[in-house]
Amino acid sequence: MQVNRPSLAIEPLPLRPWRVAVPRRARNVAARGVQVALGVVLLIVYIVPFAWMILGSLRLETEIFQFTYPLSWHTFVPVVWSVKNFLDILGLSPEGRSFGLDFGRALGFTALVSAGVVVSSLIFNTMGAYFFARLEFPRKDLVLLFVIATLLIPFEAVMVPLYIVVRTLHLQDTYWALVLPWYASPFVIFALIQFFREIPRELDEAATMDGASHLGILRHVIVPNALPGLITTALLEFQFIWNLFYWPLIAVGRKDLQTIQVAIAQQTTQTQVYWGRIFAGSVLASVPVIILFLLLQRYYIKGVVMSWLKG
Amino acid sequence: MSSAVVAPAYPSPRGWWTRRRRSYLIAFLFVAPAVVNFLLFRYVPILAAIRSSLWQYSLLGGYGKFIGLQAYGRLLQDPVFWKSLTVTVQYVLLKVPAQIVLSLALAILLQREDRFSAAVRSAIFAPVVTSIVVISVIWSLMYHVQLGLFNSILTSAGLPRVVFLSNARVALVAIVIMMVWKEIGFSLIVLMAGLKGIPDTFHEAARIDGASSWQQFRSITLPLLRRVLMFVVVTQTIFSFQVFVPVYTMTKGGPLDSTKVIVYYIYQNGFLFQDMGYASALSMITLIVLLGVSTAQMRWLRSEVEY
Repeated sequence: MQVNRPSLAIEPLPLRPWRVAVPRRARNVAARGVQVALGVVLLIVYIVPFAWMILGSLRLETEIFQFTYPLSWHTFVPVVWSVKNFLDILGLSPEGRSFGLDFGRALGFTALVSAGVVVSSLIFNTMGAYFFARLEFPRKDLVLLFVIATLLIPFEAVMVPLYIVVRTLHLQDTYWALVLPWYASPFVIFALIQFFREIPRELDEAATMDGASHLGILRHVIVPNALPGLITTALLEFQFIWNLFYWPLIAVGRKDLQTIQVAIAQQTTQTQVYWGRIFAGSVLASVPVIILFLLLQRYYIKGVVMSWLKG
Repeated sequence: MSSAVVAPAYPSPRGWWTRRRRSYLIAFLFVAPAVVNFLLFRYVPILAAIRSSLWQYSLLGGYGKFIGLQAYGRLLQDPVFWKSLTVTVQYVLLKVPAQIVLSLALAILLQREDRFSAAVRSAIFAPVVTSIVVISVIWSLMYHVQLGLFNSILTSAGLPRVVFLSNARVALVAIVIMMVWKEIGFSLIVLMAGLKGIPDTFHEAARIDGASSWQQFRSITLPLLRRVLMFVVVTQTIFSFQVFVPVYTMTKGGPLDSTKVIVYYIYQNGFLFQDMGYASALSMITLIVLLGVSTAQMRWLRSEVEY
């Protein structure tokens, strides 16, 4: 980055540490105090909704409303701990079965869709990024422009026309409707180009000397060296597709092809809303993903920075 | 690559089909799947939108007779369309500045590399990876008039109850607050990466010069962070313009259309009123508006970078 205002940095002033040091230390302690206090407030603001959801999923329906007023310990913490809500939504209790609830199937299907998208996008985006990072092609800049321009197409605003296209291809109401539109992504391609450029070209050239084809270079040079980058983009892609709602809502009407997000949203549109079940479904849909991402946070952050800032 | 270099030295006797062209074909095969995807699922939908807005179109009957710009004329006279455009702009103008200012403050507050800051950052980061459906469903329960957590807190503190989601004056703000809460972690990641890019020596030099924290922020952090900041403004504006899920799960566009954002209105026309042609016209207008917004912002970004 260009340094635009160096004036502050250059001018040397006589150092007078005795005039600065003492108040600064006091100020630092005060600043640290304020920082910690703000941090605690932030922790509360961010943890309470999740705690309310998780603890709410572990109590009985009647209990949730019983302790709303006045605000007390039991507004959050169950008196009787129970996994009934989970049994209900997974269709493992008679009551859940009578409602036709089967979140287990929705979870499994969403995992299947996510696996399809993550695997196919790893393959095709890697190939695309390899093309841009390494291969020779006349007017490659035009191909790149073709990819960049897709970023200008507002994603949610063109869902209706996308549905018209998918219907014309007779893919609506199928597994493929949920996978095919997402097997390539401009963001992932940009991130991977950055990762691939960090690999020294000499490695490719050495492999070429040994008679490796492009696929050979990809397998033996690029993929092993860009593994952290590939993990990162796989994470981004997984989060994107697992959490996708609008597209699965419109592309698939069959109940046996419902994703978990659509299943949860549907719980709120029924005449009688069961809060405990909504909590339990939300926990199943989000807590595993949150834990996964907290563990792999560094990769995820790198991915966001690579695909957004550098791209 | 090697073949491309070698080719001119040994021109193929068959003329057009040279080794160079062969290597280009192989190269293109690598990018072809992505190109086909973007063509089919990103560009063709735009053509489909144009076509289904100019011809009569229904999901079951397919394309009918040519109606020209009728759908667009209807759109210009549709008060709900204008209302939804206004609501969307209001949402963007409320959410984007709040999110940017707060995430910049948080980025500075939490940039220290200690365990406490890392824990707070992780907490802020959790809703970013949580699905918007789960977040908005939980928040709509928290916003509930009688049984929600917010009103429990308010009444326990002796304050009056607030009707969050069924009051036309409050509902949009309630959605904005939730979305800022959810998405702040995302801009936080980008801004913290930007802060890390500023060399420490600048701040040290300023400290030695006796500059206060505020002076350092004004004359070092802000100017050097400018490019990143504007980038966040541009991307967040374009994203926020397309908000849909919280409206779908929390208010269905109500009360009194006060939260009916443009993408929800498109959905409503296409899938609830079965009027795909009109929904396509709305999609096209949104596309054009957003292209205008993003080119204006890109130009602004470019001009500002080269000062």
